[in-house]
Amino acid sequence: MTELLAAFIASTDQVVLEKQGSQFILRSPAPDWFQQLWSAESTQSLVGVSVFLDHFLTDADLHWQRSQDHTPLSSGPFMEQLGESELPLEARAALVNQSQLLILQNLGSAFADQQHLLQAARENLLSQEVLEREVSKRTSEIRGRELEIAERLIYAAGFRDEETGAHIRRIGFYSAVMARAIGWNPLAVDDIKIAAPMHDIGKIGIPDSILKKPGRLDDAQFSIMRTHTSIGREMLSDSSVPMLQIAADIAGYHHEFWNGSGYPEGRRGEDIPIAARIVSIVDVYDALVHSRVYKAAFAEHVALDMMRALVGTQFDPDLFQTFIENLEEFRAIRNQVVDTDVA
Amino acid sequence: MLQKKICMLGAFSVGKTSLVQRFVSSIFDDKYHTTIGVKIDKKVITLDDQEFTLMLWDLAGEDVFNKINPTYLRGAAGCILVVDGTRPHTLDVAYEIRGLVAATLGDVPIVIALNKADLKDQWLLDDDAQVEMRQKFDVIETSAKSGNNVEEIFERLGRLML
Repeated sequence: MTELLAAFIASTDQVVLEKQGSQFILRSPAPDWFQQLWSAESTQSLVGVSVFLDHFLTDADLHWQRSQDHTPLSSGPFMEQLGESELPLEARAALVNQSQLLILQNLGSAFADQQHLLQAARENLLSQEVLEREVSKRTSEIRGRELEIAERLIYAAGFRDEETGAHIRRIGFYSAVMARAIGWNPLAVDDIKIAAPMHDIGKIGIPDSILKKPGRLDDAQFSIMRTHTSIGREMLSDSSVPMLQIAADIAGYHHEFWNGSGYPEGRRGEDIPIAARIVSIVDVYDALVHSRVYKAAFAEHVALDMMRALVGTQFDPDLFQTFIENLEEFRAIRNQVVDTDVA
Repeated sequence: MLQKKICMLGAFSVGKTSLVQRFVSSIFDDKYHTTIGVKIDKKVITLDDQEFTLMLWDLAGEDVFNKINPTYLRGAAGCILVVDGTRPHTLDVAYEIRGLVAATLGDVPIVIALNKADLKDQWLLDDDAQVEMRQKFDVIETSAKSGNNVEEIFERLGRLML
């Protein structure tokens, strides 16, 4: 090795050894740290001097045997105890002109710099985690409040509406299944779960003489009844809360039909907000498969046949397909959310 | 004397180095010092009148900046997966590492150190996650800060490796 090369190696705080048989021969000047750690005999066995090095030499032997592999094999950083302090080292195995070389490098200040950077980055990640947890906690508190307000609104409307509490809750669960199935994000899924039960909240503004009238409504009465959609939308609209925005869409448009023949505005197709299109399907499903004071429950297959006949006129065909694909989940909800006071 | 290699594994800042320092040197430093690469410590323990040396491989934690080099696991007779009870996602990281351990070492004994027991009032691991973890693994609640259960977890793993 030329003097120049030896000087260069020394200046980079490395030591080069060549493996011959079971021995390693020093091929460059030995730095102080190497002498302190493992002595500086010109020929030595490195076996047993360092647990980590022993481990790496197994990999190095395999690397040297793959004579076509000229990319040095690196051990990655490892620490060796030198007196009271720790020395950051890295080993590399290289095959040069069929010579099996082991290069040991003191990573020195480069390691300290890397450690400093990584420490800062990881502390930053830890701070980020704390912030994310705090945001998540606060969000959860806000969601809890939204849910409570929605439940109290629904409770208030319940004094006037004859729908059962279980029906209202099921509409929320069904709508969440639909929203998840079409790829809504988890927050929006939670929003529709809370918002959908408010679909008929506008009935609070319908006179008792119409809302609670036994028997059929005449045309004039039915026109008034239909206004529950716009009343509900008005109650819930102009909010900056995403859940209430969805609730306003649902309350206002869940009686619109895919072909434009619904009310209150005669909107058609995708002009009807998607949340309202979802609720229009699950509301009809739940109403058909459960009994009411004025009708018995239909068997599910009958209810589904009736609903299929409404695809393309009343229901969004794609959403109806999603509904059919997730029928098992709706059945599970039906079984789990039942009225305790209804036989 | 019999030697056993143990790997300390887990997400970053869960307390792997602190557990080793507490076990080997009976010291604890409250400040977080990130580990780069590998640091190996030794401790002789006696189990059932048999002495053996534990070679403790403290590997840098997993995160976006560092993935565990599987070659470091070679020869390990057991692993301690460290989870920080105050950071639920460190359990997910532990499960991922468990997959790497199984693929590299096969069926070696693993014990989970559910660490930072001194901060138990701040733990955020939900009950379901804890139940699932305890069904799948031998779990010991530890605190490198107080020293609680530190000797015990190494002893437990030692017995499983015997």
